[in-house]
Amino acid sequence: MFKLPCLALAFGLSLGLAALPAAQAAEVPLDGKKLFANSCGFCHSKGGRKAGKGPKLANSPRSDTFIVNRIKKGKQGRMPAYARAFDDTKIRAILAYIRSLDEPAQ
Amino acid sequence: MLKRRVGLHASLGLVAGAALLGALAAGAGAVDPSRLLSADKNPNDWLTYHGSYKSWHYSALDQINRDTVQDLKVAWTHHPGRSTRGVQSFPLVADGVLYYSGSYSRVFALNGATGELIWSYIPELNEDLVASQTHSPYNRGIALGQGKLFVGTVDGRLIALDMKTGKPQWDTKLLNSEKLTVGFTGAPLMVKDKVIIGAQGGEWPWRGPIFGVNAATGEKSWEFFTVAGTAEAKKTWANESWRTGGGGGWMPGGYDPENDTVWWGTGNPAPLYDWAGPEWKTKGPRPGTNLYTSSVIGLDPNDGKLKAFHQELPHDAWDFDSAVGEFVMLERDGKKLMIHPNKGGHIFVYNRKDATIVNVWQAADNINFVERIDPKTGELIGRRDMAEGEHKNLCPAIAGGISWNSGTYNPKTGLYYKVVQEWCMDLEVVKTTPITEPQAQLNIGANFTFTNPVGGVARGHVDARDPVTGEKKWEIHFPEPPLASLLSTGGDLLFVPDARGFLRAYDTESGQQLWSHNNGLGHNGGIISYSVEGKQYVAVVTGWGSLVGDAYPDLFGEPYKSMATDSGALVVFALD
Repeated sequence: MFKLPCLALAFGLSLGLAALPAAQAAEVPLDGKKLFANSCGFCHSKGGRKAGKGPKLANSPRSDTFIVNRIKKGKQGRMPAYARAFDDTKIRAILAYIRSLDEPAQ
Repeated sequence: MLKRRVGLHASLGLVAGAALLGALAAGAGAVDPSRLLSADKNPNDWLTYHGSYKSWHYSALDQINRDTVQDLKVAWTHHPGRSTRGVQSFPLVADGVLYYSGSYSRVFALNGATGELIWSYIPELNEDLVASQTHSPYNRGIALGQGKLFVGTVDGRLIALDMKTGKPQWDTKLLNSEKLTVGFTGAPLMVKDKVIIGAQGGEWPWRGPIFGVNAATGEKSWEFFTVAGTAEAKKTWANESWRTGGGGGWMPGGYDPENDTVWWGTGNPAPLYDWAGPEWKTKGPRPGTNLYTSSVIGLDPNDGKLKAFHQELPHDAWDFDSAVGEFVMLERDGKKLMIHPNKGGHIFVYNRKDATIVNVWQAADNINFVERIDPKTGELIGRRDMAEGEHKNLCPAIAGGISWNSGTYNPKTGLYYKVVQEWCMDLEVVKTTPITEPQAQLNIGANFTFTNPVGGVARGHVDARDPVTGEKKWEIHFPEPPLASLLSTGGDLLFVPDARGFLRAYDTESGQQLWSHNNGLGHNGGIISYSVEGKQYVAVVTGWGSLVGDAYPDLFGEPYKSMATDSGALVVFALD
């Protein structure tokens, strides 16, 4: 299980998951990748690296808060709401996986 | 089984001419078993999803024909509202009244000649649950019988409405959708005194049941698990993997009255892709052949007992399930046959009595998940089992060589017309764990990207073929695969509702286009023909946004990038 430092976790939970430090975001949590392949890869192509049924997630300009809220609440007719299915730990793991996809700016 | 208190509304249309409309509704005779048995003999009606138990999707009406079709115009339209993911359903007609459903299982009864409202019914659904579902909130159709209309809901209920008033007669909770996430999107099938409906399944970690429900009372009569539904089948899921197996039967099947057998196609096992690869018989998430997933199964409609089956894809590792609902009943050289398309792009021809193989022919050009399927035995030759890791150019893509919408058989030409899809994908197979708590979740087991076939581009075609041999007479090219059902008629017309929004009519003999009309929105549902007081109508539903259609903006660009996925209508045509 991927774990964040307590401070980041505390801020993350209280502030709707603040941005993860870049160095930690680069560590790919195994659970996040698995969870993504369970439920998210159906729409977000190439593991989130490419647009498909859903948008490309790598290098997303959206904030962590936005992404977490979108995972929890979904978007009617486009994306399911996962708040009932995934607790904050799982959602953090998915977010960390998504951020791990970021490619460095050229 | 939980009987819900009816907390719903049905509104009678209080419009000008209400008395006339009421008289029309009152004139609707009961749709009894004998009428369903002979549905193909009365082209004025369209009584079941597949047109009749023969699943021909054919109307013998010929007023609209190759000589008159140029005068085909919109007669009336109806907008159901709240058409999230478009209208994907199939209208039905009995005695001049048209019934159809929209998203969220909203049901309407309309004057078939004018479109005037007779009644509507808007069920109250568990909206929190709906928001958390992937395969939702579309509804793909209804059934008629015993003076009632039957509709399933995405929160796991089957509801019976009075055909004349729209008032609920019973409302039976069949699935614990709050836990399992899945519900009902497919149309029910009325057989004798039973309403038969299959649950969603496939990538969802459960056992995908099919239910037989007493049409009079709403009591569940039987339940057949498409995953490990018998002791024999349970042995084909090592390590208790049947507990999260998938399956389902989410499209309405067919019925063979002579043998009193209901035929149903079943969904794929979960996870869709198996990281064990070639070692699937002993390792991986679901070791074994995984009966009765990706199969056609014959059930006794009286008690739901299995009578016969054929597993089209033993240990399906590609999501090429058998849930396509059509079982085209034909006779050839004294043999009673049924034709069933498999999502992988092959067409299976069976003996109707016991589902033994007569032939298997390839419909899609781009197939490499197997080298071939033996046409005499149905055995998969040269399987491509993909272990954990990256794989290139799997054909067809996850959307299949064939989708769930129905083709049509025309007895005048003897040809079977069917949409075929050509696309491939790259994928990375990933080890996953079934998620069942607190609410079951998809178990895909891969990340993937659609690709063009090698040396070509993703595309679709409508083929006219001999249904038994597969011999092709002609094909019509489409830059994007149509995702709606087809209709052929006694007027020598083939209707193709296409993805861009055009409804097109072709000559059934030559494939020449004779007419088209732009409905302004892609088609992803049903099309029928019927008549009222001697006038022929063609009714088609519009609306875009299915899970396959969602891939179109990235694959094909415009008009799909700009196409609404929250709209839809019923559009009815007649001659001027």
